[in-house]
This record gives sequence, structure tokens and C-alpha cells, in this order.
Amino acid sequence: MSDIARDLPLLSLIIFTPVIGVLVLLLVPGDRHRAIRWIALLASLATLAFSLLLLGYESGGAEFQFREDLAWIPAFGMGYRLGVDGLSVVLVILTTVLSVVAILYSWDPIQTRVKEYYATMLLLMVGMLGVFVSLDLFLFYVFWELSLIPMYLVIGIWGGPRRIYATVKFVIYTLIGSLLMLVAILAVVIAHASGGNEFTFAYEQLRGFPFSDGLQALAFVAFFLAFAIKVPMWPLHTWLPDAHVEAPTAGSIILAGVLLKLGGYGFLRFSLPLLPDAAVEFAPIVIALALIAILYGALVSMVQPDLKKLIAYSSVSHMGFVMLGTFVFNQQGLQGAVFQMISHGITTGALFLLVGVIYERTHDRLIAHMGGLNARLPRYAAMFGLFTFASIGLPGLSGFVGEFLVVLGAFRFNGWVAAAAMIVVIFSAVYMLWMLQRVFFTVPSGWMRRWWPSLSDMSRTEWLSLAPLLVLVVALGVFPGLVLQLTQAPVDRIIDLVAPSGGLSSLSLPW
Amino acid sequence: MADPWNDLFTLLPELMLIGTVLFVITVDLFLPRSAKWVLTPITIVGLALSAVGCTLVWGVNDRVFDGFYVVDDLAIFFKAATLVIGLLTALFAPPYLVARRLPLGEFNAILLFSLIGMFVLASSSDLITLFLGLELMVMPAYLLTGFHKTDRYSNEGGLKYFLLGSFASAILLFGISWTYGLTGTTRIAEIGPALADLATRGGGLAPAVVVAIGMLTVGATFKAAAVPFHYWTPDAYQGAPTPITGFLSVGPKLGAFALLVRLFAEGLAPLRADWLTVMAILAVLTMTGGNVVALTQTNVKRMLAYSSIAHTGYILAGLAAFAAATSPAVQQEGIEAVLFYVLGYGVMNIAAFAVVGMLQRDPQRYGGLNSFAGLAGRAPAIAAAMAVLLFSLTGIPPTVGFFAKLYVLLATVDAGLSWLAVVIALNAALAAFYYLRVIVYMYMRDPETDPAPIERHPFGTAALGLSVLGVVALGVFPEPILSLLRDSARILF
Repeated sequence: MSDIARDLPLLSLIIFTPVIGVLVLLLVPGDRHRAIRWIALLASLATLAFSLLLLGYESGGAEFQFREDLAWIPAFGMGYRLGVDGLSVVLVILTTVLSVVAILYSWDPIQTRVKEYYATMLLLMVGMLGVFVSLDLFLFYVFWELSLIPMYLVIGIWGGPRRIYATVKFVIYTLIGSLLMLVAILAVVIAHASGGNEFTFAYEQLRGFPFSDGLQALAFVAFFLAFAIKVPMWPLHTWLPDAHVEAPTAGSIILAGVLLKLGGYGFLRFSLPLLPDAAVEFAPIVIALALIAILYGALVSMVQPDLKKLIAYSSVSHMGFVMLGTFVFNQQGLQGAVFQMISHGITTGALFLLVGVIYERTHDRLIAHMGGLNARLPRYAAMFGLFTFASIGLPGLSGFVGEFLVVLGAFRFNGWVAAAAMIVVIFSAVYMLWMLQRVFFTVPSGWMRRWWPSLSDMSRTEWLSLAPLLVLVVALGVFPGLVLQLTQAPVDRIIDLVAPSGGLSSLSLPW
Repeated sequence: MADPWNDLFTLLPELMLIGTVLFVITVDLFLPRSAKWVLTPITIVGLALSAVGCTLVWGVNDRVFDGFYVVDDLAIFFKAATLVIGLLTALFAPPYLVARRLPLGEFNAILLFSLIGMFVLASSSDLITLFLGLELMVMPAYLLTGFHKTDRYSNEGGLKYFLLGSFASAILLFGISWTYGLTGTTRIAEIGPALADLATRGGGLAPAVVVAIGMLTVGATFKAAAVPFHYWTPDAYQGAPTPITGFLSVGPKLGAFALLVRLFAEGLAPLRADWLTVMAILAVLTMTGGNVVALTQTNVKRMLAYSSIAHTGYILAGLAAFAAATSPAVQQEGIEAVLFYVLGYGVMNIAAFAVVGMLQRDPQRYGGLNSFAGLAGRAPAIAAAMAVLLFSLTGIPPTVGFFAKLYVLLATVDAGLSWLAVVIALNAALAAFYYLRVIVYMYMRDPETDPAPIERHPFGTAALGLSVLGVVALGVFPEPILSLLRDSARILF
């Protein structure tokens, strides 16, 4: 990494390049759709380029690199503090890649209020990227809320028939969690300050402070609500299927690909390091909920008639693995959780994109209305099949690594837990393969025959938007080290803080 | 201190306003109808002169007129906030009033009188001055509510506001006389210690002291429109001409909180352990009650009226934090939260009501929420401004509404009232539901087939732009205001 790049305020550039894109968009007349799409694409590509520079992160160096630290509201110790470790780096790149994919994919499907659409998508990037690079709890909260409003608009304006119900549900769920988290953040900051320390929202100063058990427990519950709603964990997941079904395709890609990861990231960055004792205390409950989510998501997926709903519920199951891996507090579990987040972002993002492809052609997503598509759309079927296998966890594709590591971590914690999680992987093969069969290999339904003559295989834009995900799903499946070496140090640090003895031992638990 | 000229100098902001009122009334007599709009710039110049006066007396911190009047930084902060509210009202109201053939001269004069009342209230250091200021503030407010004299609802609202407001004033006055009877003084700074002395003498809280504090609480919270003393609010707010409703929802409220701060934080501070519980309960009742009823409203004006009750609850929570805190630093934080909230809320609420007013150009065709349908397509700028204001009222960053809520939460958590902070957080989520509903209508629904016309006027546009700018700027960079705020609140400690 050259010195020039080191001196650039790289993280600010990453966060605010989309804002520049929005400002440029404001100057373009609303009916110049082509120009608008290009501006948005260029802004997201520039952000992606900047984010790739983060790969210059030196694994052996300081914990947080590319730091920026400016006074913002010194009266309350709130600062514009940015920095990334390996965990942030991989999630930032996931976000920028998926944003480019979403913006590129929207090229044809979005034809109404185009300017507003792309401005909203770019603002959404700002909120998400900000969350991943904030090292100040106040700044983090601001970005956290900022990521909420654009998604609210994306679903509410460009969504399906029941979009308003879905988007209001999404916002209210998220707001309840995040407002309680705000109270918890304040409680943590105040407790830190009343110990004779500086009044500050700086993450690194708060981390490691011995908060009292009572405060840790209450704050953990509040943080948990905010993050678990976002993940989403059973039984707080009910907003997710509605939001996914009504969201436009690009909205679903971002929602599943990145927004859910905000929750997982929140646990890894804030809940565990700030409140380690409470995290250990609550781990059995969270693990139980995670197991329920894994099983519940899989079982409910089996009976979904709607493609999007099926993938949405499978997300509940997959994110359950993330939670399980996070809360066993050992190397394999945590590494697996992070990897599973990345992999889920790629595969589920791609699956939503592919569902969007068929929806664009037939305006339908019901599995019962499909059938036999392999004969008519072979390339599309191949892609769908590939990502289905990635989602199931076929070795050689990215989905395998995350689930394998999580189960390994769970096994070190408790064999029964690992066994339970492993069995569900079989279920996931059942619902995904059965879906694949009904959509692509049976006899075409009467409904599908009506569209038969007009069906065309994937367009160039669709290929282009899918390509980065295709590369990543294979690359990460074959070389998981690309991600794991970056996240090794952050994971070790979390283990040092939470469970220095190297993970929970099952003997310390009541069951 | 005895120098009368010095005393008069400290009254500079008030004198500027009084001069402007007289000037407005006089000039109004000679202006032809077509030139009445000139009165608005005149009023604004008067407000600006008064603001200059405020900066001149900043830091004086003196009691004048034999201790009846205090000019300290706390009072000046309230006055500055009053001027901001006055400026926005003076800009928002004229287009609405002119469209209904209502007289601008009287409007400006009455508005200025009310502002003077708020000034006196903020500066009162004696119960007599306090009451005078209060009446000077609310009498013009009654008039403004009934200002649309040919409109039945306006008349009804004005009458209700007048009757119940007088009732509240009487209760407050009763509390004041009871206090005087117990303590033998009307000086605010002296009644607290005297009452505390009385209260502790008998071992428990003497019944007479309970009556006195109870009456003062009821009277004051009546004016602030706290549940369960809020029944006058929805009708008065709905009946009043809409931009004036914006003023009513923040101006007299600011006055009421100036009164509460002066009376309770300054005067009754020694007894705060005794009124803490009452304030905390009132805060919870007020925010929850206001939000729950606002949820069921389909008329945006009435919805905003109820939501303004909810905001009163959040501000009361700041006062409760003051009462609960043990260290002066945390107590001061509670007062700062009150001050910041009153200012931020003032700006966003006036502007939100003004947007409703803009859609009421043709009163017959205004259809509540339906009039907002598809506004984003018909008037993108107004819709965007309203969206920012609604996000701010909800408390979403980076707006002043968010920072105000954060301040209150910080103060309550710091004071050990974490349960109250949780109630506030849940209430804010509840409020999101009805605020965001307006955004749903503006952005996610198609307009009516024959939508009502929109009032566009340079004054209104300018004021809306200013408000939105203020809402965002104060939300992102609150630091300059925070330091002023700290200086102001420090006076009490």
C-alpha cells in the first residue's frame, strides 16, 4: 500500500462518494433515465474501487487501520471516529459489491421515479457503510438509523401490492429495537463516565471497561433486541418475509445481502466485546433461539408456495447458523459465523436476483406456476442451480465453508447442538432441491405455457450483475482463506474479551 | 442596581418589541389594503432588533426593578427561542390569513404582544411578574385562536381555549396566593427554602404545602397541555387558523416551560423530591396519552395537535430528570434537555403545521391525510421538506428532533430514571407509526383525482426553507447551541 493511499481519508471517501452521486443526480432532469442510471452506477463503482483499497489492511498491524478521528460534538464526547479491522473490511466490500449488483440489476426493472430510486439506493449505501466503519457508538447509531429510512422508501415506493403494510412493519420493528439500543448505549456511556472516566462514545475506550453485572444484563437485552430483530432471529423475524415479498428485487438483494448483516455485525462488534459477561450469561438462551431459528426457518421454507418467501425463510435458517457460531465463542464458530454472513450475502443476493429475473418475465413467483424452465431457459436454470447448491452448502462453493465451520465450533461446544444443526442442513437440501425440481424440471404448468413463447434467457445486464457474485461464490468456496485470514485477528480479539479460556465449555452450562 | 437607566437597558429586547408593536399598530392605520404585506417585514425587523438587544444583555445576569425581574442567560435563551418562533410565525401566517381576508395588522400586533408576554414570563423572578407575563402571553393567544371570526370552529376553539385557560390561570393564581399565605413572600428564590422549612417542620409534608404545590403544578401543566389537563388542546388547535396553530403549539408551550423552569427548578428545587414522582407520572401519561390518541387521527392537523401533547411529555421527562438527579451537573443536564427540546421542537412543529396550512388554500377541499396523497409528485420540494420535518418529529438522525430526544434520554438515564428512558424510547417508536403514515401518503400513494390547490408564497417558502435548514443543521452540528445552552442552564446552579 503506497503512502498516498494511506494519507487519503479513505473511509470518508467510501462513505461519502455515494452522497456525491446523489448531489450530482439532483442536478440531472428527472426524465433523463439513462444519464441517471450511469451516474448511480459510476458512483457505486467508485465506492467499490475505494473499498477495494481497504484490502491493503495489514493483518499484523494495528487493530483498527485507515483511522479518522475528528471532534464532532465534544460537549458529549461524540466524535467522527472511523476505522476498520478485518471484519469491517470484508463486510464493507460485501456491501459495495452488492450495491453495484443491485444498481446494475435495476437498469431495466425500475422505470418509475428513476431519479428518486437511485438517490435512495445511494443513500442506503451511506448508512450501511457507515455502520461498518464507525468506532463511535453515537456515530454508529446515526448510521444505523440512516440505513433504515432509504430501505423504508425502497420497499414502500417501488414494492409490490402490499408494500405499505410490509414497509411500515419493517420500520416499526426496527425502530423499537434501535431506540431501546439507544437507551442502552447511553446507559453504557454514562456508567463508563461515572467511573471517573472521560464522557465519551469512543468504542475503544468503552471496550474492556468492567460494567456491572446488572447493567450488562439490561444493556445486553436492549442490544440484543436491536440486533436480533435485524438478523432476524426467531421469534422476531416476522417482518422479514413480508418485507422480502414486497420489496423490489434490488431491495431484496440489499436487504438479505447487507441489512441482515448489520445485526450480525452488531453482535460481533458491540454486544460481545462491550458486554462480555452478559454475553456468556445469555449464551445458552441465544444458542437455543438460534437452533430454533435454524430448524424453524428450514421447516417453514418447505411449505412456501412463493419463491421469494421460500428464500426469505431460508435466510432465517442461515442467519441462525450465524448466531449459533457467534455464541459458542470459539475460533471455528466465530470464523464460521463471519464467513456464513459473507456467503449468505452472496448466495441469497444472487438467488433473489435470479427470482427477479423470472418475475420480470412472468410477473409471478409462485412455484406452482413454474415448471420445466430448464428446457426453455437452460443458462438461467444452470445459474439458479449453482446458487441453490451454494445455499445448501455444497463443498467447493462458499456456503459449505461457513456452515461447516459453525457446526465444527458447535461440536466443540456441545455435540448434541452440533448434531441438531447438522440435521437441519439435510432439511435445507430437501426444500431447496424440491424447489429446484418443481421450477425447472417438471412439466411446465398451464400458467407457464402462456408465457412460453415470450420467455427469453438472461439478458446482458442480468449476466453482468450476476457475474461478480458468480466469481465470489466459487472463489470463496475454493479459497476461503481470502476472508478467513482477514477475520482471524478480530475473532481472536473477541475470544480474548469474552471467553479467554477458549470458548464456552459445555460443562459450565445447565444442560 | 438602583440605577434606573441600567434597569431600562436590561429591558432592551422587551423595549424593542414594544416599540415594534406600537409602530405596527400606527402604520397599519395608514396603509392601503394592497400594501399591508409591508407589516411583515416591519415585524421581522422588530424581531431582529430585539435579537440584537438580547445579545447586548447576554451575560448581564442581574436582578432589576427591586428584584421583580431577572435578566439572566437563562431568560435570554428563552427569549431567543421565542424570537425564532415569532419569526417563523410571522412568515408562515400571512399567506394563509390574506387568502381568508383576515387583517394582517392586528395579527402582527397580537403576535408581538404574546411574544412580549413570553419575554416577561421568562424573566420573572417574582410570582406577580410571573402571572402578569403568563396572562400577557395567553390573552393574545386566545384572540389568535378565534382570529378567523367568520369560522365557527375558530370561534369554538377560541372560546374553549379562553374558558379553560382562564380556569387554569385561576388555579395557578390560587396556588400563588396559597404559597404567599404560607411563606409571606412572592419572590421565587425565597419561596422554595421557606416552603421546605415549613414542610419539614411537622415531620412530613404539611397538607397546606401539598395544596400550594398541587395548585401550582396543575395550573402550570394546564398551560403546557399535559395529560390529564389537555382537553382544551385538540379543539383549540384544530379551530385556529393553521399557521397560528403552529404558533399555539409551541409559543405558549415554551412559555409554560419557562414558567415550570422558573417556578419548579428555581423556586421549588428544595422540594424536588416531593414533586419528582408527580412530574415523572405526568410525563409518562402525557407522552403515552398523546401518542395513543394521535395514532387514531386521520386529520393531519389534529394528529399534530395530539402529537404536540406527546412532545410535552418528553419535555416533562427532562424536568423529572432534573428533579431526580443528585449531582448539580446532572440536574443541569435535565434543564439543558428541556431548553434544547423546546427550541428544536418549536422549529419543527411550527413548520409542520405550516405545511398543513399550505394545503388548505381551499378550506372546503382539504381532506386530511388524503390531501397529502401523492404530494411528492405534485410538489416535490414541499413534500421533501415535510418528510424531513416528520423524520425530525419522529426522532430520526441526523435531525434536531433526534438530538433533542437523545438529550432527554441522556438526562433521564444519567439521573437514574432508566425506566422513564425506556418509556420514552417505546413512545418514540409508537409515534413513528403515525408520523410515517403521512410520508406513506406523500410518497407511496397516488394523488386524488382532483387534488386541492397548494398555497405558494415567497414568505412561506422562505420560512419553510429556514426551518428545514435549521432542523438539519442543528441536528448535525448542535455544538454551537449546546455551549449557549450550558451557559444558560448554569445560571440556576
